[in-house]
Amino acid sequence: MVTKRDREREKGDSSASMAAKAAKGKVWEEERPDTGMDELLAVLGYKVRTSDMPDVAQKLEQLEMAMGTTMEDGITHLGSDTVHYNPSDLSGWVQSMLSELNTASPSSNFDAISNQTAGSSSTTMIDFSNGKQLGDQCKIYNDDSEYDLRAIPGGAIYRSDKESDRGSGIKRMKSSSLEPEFDDSLTVAAAESARPVVLVDSQEAGVRLVHTLMACAEAVQQENLKLADALVKHVGFLAVSQAGAMRKVATYFAEALARRIYKIYPQDSLETYSDILQMHFYETCPYLKFAHFTANQAILEAFAGANRVHVIDFSLKQGMQWPALMQALALRPEGPPAFWLTGIGPPQPDNTDALQQVGWKLAQLAETIGVEFVFRGFVANSLADLDASMLEIRPSEVEAVAVNSVFELHRLLARPGAMEKVLASIKAMKPKIVTFVEQEANHNGAHFLERFNEALHYYSTMFDSLESSGLTQPNGQDLVMSEVYLGRQICNVVACEGTDRVERHETLTQWRTRMDSAGFDPVHLGSNAFKQASMLLALFAGGDGYRVVENDGCLMLGWHTCPLIATSAWQLAGGDS
Amino acid sequence: MVNLLQNGDVCMEELKEETPMFCINDNEDVLVEILRRLDGRSLGSAACVCKMWCGIARNDALWEHLCFRHVSPPPSGVRPVVMALGGYRRLYMVCVRPVLSRLGRMRVRVGGGESDLVSRVWTRQEVELSLSLFCVDYYERLLGGGGKLGDAPASSLIFLCKTVNV
Repeated sequence: MVTKRDREREKGDSSASMAAKAAKGKVWEEERPDTGMDELLAVLGYKVRTSDMPDVAQKLEQLEMAMGTTMEDGITHLGSDTVHYNPSDLSGWVQSMLSELNTASPSSNFDAISNQTAGSSSTTMIDFSNGKQLGDQCKIYNDDSEYDLRAIPGGAIYRSDKESDRGSGIKRMKSSSLEPEFDDSLTVAAAESARPVVLVDSQEAGVRLVHTLMACAEAVQQENLKLADALVKHVGFLAVSQAGAMRKVATYFAEALARRIYKIYPQDSLETYSDILQMHFYETCPYLKFAHFTANQAILEAFAGANRVHVIDFSLKQGMQWPALMQALALRPEGPPAFWLTGIGPPQPDNTDALQQVGWKLAQLAETIGVEFVFRGFVANSLADLDASMLEIRPSEVEAVAVNSVFELHRLLARPGAMEKVLASIKAMKPKIVTFVEQEANHNGAHFLERFNEALHYYSTMFDSLESSGLTQPNGQDLVMSEVYLGRQICNVVACEGTDRVERHETLTQWRTRMDSAGFDPVHLGSNAFKQASMLLALFAGGDGYRVVENDGCLMLGWHTCPLIATSAWQLAGGDS
Repeated sequence: MVNLLQNGDVCMEELKEETPMFCINDNEDVLVEILRRLDGRSLGSAACVCKMWCGIARNDALWEHLCFRHVSPPPSGVRPVVMALGGYRRLYMVCVRPVLSRLGRMRVRVGGGESDLVSRVWTRQEVELSLSLFCVDYYERLLGGGGKLGDAPASSLIFLCKTVNV
């Protein structure tokens, strides 16, 4: 509703879609009778003419953009430091703040600017995360429109003069008149401004950004490294003009491309801190929780009636999946079974026994809820190094076995033969059920460009969902860590090759074919799993965007229309119940 | 003091002296019965009245009743597990209340009508989900605090607590 928008705007709280909608100022004039002053704002103490409302709205929107996008530049103090002397001049006040930050002047050619900064080459290759470098040269506003690869470019592009000293500037209220006071601030700004600045409509810039990224990838594919280098720098420039998810995605992809061009591969092993990063990812968004809950439901159903159960977890990490399963087993009508857990993990760089620590905590939990529990940990560089005989699995008459893997199987595709070996081992374990969760994307295509484009689309959607989850404050630690987690994947998909490239995601269809030919039959995840997953998502603040979809017995979680991860369950072919 | 009005009516004060005063604090069982019928928020407020009420309101049996009185059918065998993981009061605060209010809100939006959250019947899945999340909460506190079991909910359950404001 219109009025709600006003209020929310006043509180400085708005979302991307709000900003976009508020631009339609004319709606207000149609809906409100022309009684002079706006009644609702009058209640708050602001005297604004109804006819001025669209204008005020637009200015507030611009101000919001300015405050919102330049967080690292310290503008957010505007929200708290402003002193408001003359509430009746809302329009003028907002205008004064805008003018101090950025002043408008006639339009100019965007390309001229881009050539200028591309030539300067003062930006370093790798360090795109520091927006200040480019920010020193230009200050750019944009609206927070949602990232959309198919966005239709629109809007005006115009240039403004920048104020070099944006960081300071306690806002002073321009007293008196209703007229926006351009002149004073212009002279101040003009005296200090150095380079011209471009104010772009972000959708236009967003599309350019995507095109530039793709062009760069194509150049890399064609081994035209000089062109690729120039394009990657250009991407950096364009990325600063974006906000939120788009900016971050572009930054990560640009960095990955740069690494590929300059052959600077990440030195640190992908295992460093990966557990911690995944924990933050677990906390920020529902993907891992969805994965755990749906897989657990399938395992629980497969274990019905068994007195001894053995779960082999290819992806133990912090063991976050198992408390919920143990609790469900504890509350079974027939009482809990004896629960054995074999956890497999990579060697830790600092040689600590992370697996045993996790096992110990799980054992404590099991004791608390009264489940007989045994834990065994295996350290392995790759799943292919394991053998079924090492795992001490008892015959299937004695115990029911489940094999579980969350985001681990795709790594085996990096080495030829590894996948087949592991699938054979799994069969040798004679599991009652095999559950795995994988990213729903094809990042393992033969050609680099095709992989790049797929990855761009996939991770943009991912970042979008993170951004809109509404759980964490923007740039809160959890969110940043989750982004780093995803950023590592991006880096691996784009910059690495051969056995280093482990993030070889494949689609559910591809996995289905593979499992089928390896001798597994699909197990349908029941309606229980679906309901539980839907409920879980409903609990999330950003729950509206997430969608659970059932796909021929498998469950997929996606953001809006784009599926992102898929859970599937399998049993040995020939049905041994 | 006895006060006789001019028209001969007996004044209230006289009546008071004759009948014994009823003080709720002397009748704990009545208090408990009353508290059992309250919703979570009122129970929380009741705990703030005085020390005695606080002690009574913190009795886990009350919260158990609150958590599951509208569950049909009531779950069995749950109590030892819940008690071990932190008790019903914690279960309510950390999981049940947010789950109910979030999912209740979703229902209202879909159903389009007024819905009384307190008297809504839980489905089995909602109970199971709450219990699972409660267990995850316990485990996270184990992981994080190294055995220290404080009052604040663990990070992954922050998503449940965010929008609730009392």
